[in-house]
Amino acid sequence: MESIENAIEVRHLRKVFGTLKAVDGIDFELKQGEFLTVFGPNGAGKTTLIKILSGLTQPSSGTARVAGFDVTEGHPEMRKEIGVISHSTALYADLTSLENLMFFARMHGLEQPQEKALKVIEEVGLSPRRNDRVRTFSRGMLQRLSIARAVLHDPAILFLDEPFTGLDLHATNVLKEHLQRLHDRRRTILMTTHDISCGLEMCDKVALQVQGKFAFLENISNVDKDRFESMYFDAVRDKQFAMGIGL
Amino acid sequence: MNLYLNQIAAIVWKDFVTELKTRELLSAMFIFALLVILIFIFSINLSIVKASEVGPGILWVAFLFAGTIGLNRSFMLEKENGCLMGLMLVPADRTAIYFGKLISNLIFLSIMELFILPLFMIFFNIDLLSHLGPLLVVVFLGTLGFCALGTLLSSLSSNLKTREIMLPILLYPLLIPIVIGAVRMTGQILDGIELFDMMKWIGLTASFDIIYIGVSIMTIDHILEE
Repeated sequence: MESIENAIEVRHLRKVFGTLKAVDGIDFELKQGEFLTVFGPNGAGKTTLIKILSGLTQPSSGTARVAGFDVTEGHPEMRKEIGVISHSTALYADLTSLENLMFFARMHGLEQPQEKALKVIEEVGLSPRRNDRVRTFSRGMLQRLSIARAVLHDPAILFLDEPFTGLDLHATNVLKEHLQRLHDRRRTILMTTHDISCGLEMCDKVALQVQGKFAFLENISNVDKDRFESMYFDAVRDKQFAMGIGL
Repeated sequence: MNLYLNQIAAIVWKDFVTELKTRELLSAMFIFALLVILIFIFSINLSIVKASEVGPGILWVAFLFAGTIGLNRSFMLEKENGCLMGLMLVPADRTAIYFGKLISNLIFLSIMELFILPLFMIFFNIDLLSHLGPLLVVVFLGTLGFCALGTLLSSLSSNLKTREIMLPILLYPLLIPIVIGAVRMTGQILDGIELFDMMKWIGLTASFDIIYIGVSIMTIDHILEE
């Protein structure tokens, strides 16, 4: 990615589904190499925000620029600069892990796709299972392979949608180490999560998204972690009461 | 251009490797097409009805119905585990995804047809070998149109809950010109008419092939978008 002041720049972003405001006037920017963690209760619009920023969904209004590209234009060059880990693994169940990554390497136009695929498989600790069908993988292994798929082309910007979901302690540590390495290499990262300790530990900025809005956005150095934690739990509880679930 | 062709080739390669491992698509299409032909062969008295008159219709019913199974499966594979989302995130033009899937479908259907044609020849006691060249041209033209439109509509219907029902409902009415052309040309070939003498039908079928591919190129971007 060429040197751009803001890797991600979002202005008055809105996404409406009928009467539901999934994203409601979000503004923020992330400089190259910054790591933003977005917390929020279920249904706060975090996944929609990531879908808009990765060009998978069009916003209703507002602007968003990622790696200097307007996300609404669907520019292929923008997709070279981003990697996305979502709830779905985006892996073909009947292909092996090596075949999956070779396929995505070819789709990205990478030279020596097999070598690249083997390298990232080793990085996520799946070398012994490289020739096994993805269908036989556990949730944690799938998530690690999904990470490998997302970083295969060495993107400058990463979007991670609740990447710790369903991972055991070992897989969580592997993912954290991998994210830390990417952060050290000045990759811009936007991650949504419910895991307070993991989320606060790695980020430079933290946000709390509630009912489509950023109710809180601050540099991590200015955040009292205990106060933020109680604020987050209040938001989750209020959301549950609003939905009639209660605590 | 090189990257574009490589991306198309990668999709075809991926579909082939998947099919080699699962063998679900070809076997399902082949068995279905064979069943259609068997049902007709037992319901028609070929000593009364001329095989070259009813045969072409039966052959294309078998191809189209079996092909629909293949088309339904084609984009279902991409929906599983959100793979289509993964495809949407690679720096590929959406038409490369379309052409990759179109070529895969075309090859799988052609393989099924190549297995069905000899069986059709045996069951209907028709000599296809002396008309093989023109017949393959007609089968290719018909199959190309079917796959061009079918690939587009299967990508559209893959987002629907009722996709297995919606695909044939959307596909078959639009396929009528191609089906009529393919059936008429197949019948004429079996009657010994030269390809050169049926240019009107070839023109019609080829025109619809081109129209469906053109419409797909223009609309696939919007159809694949969530």
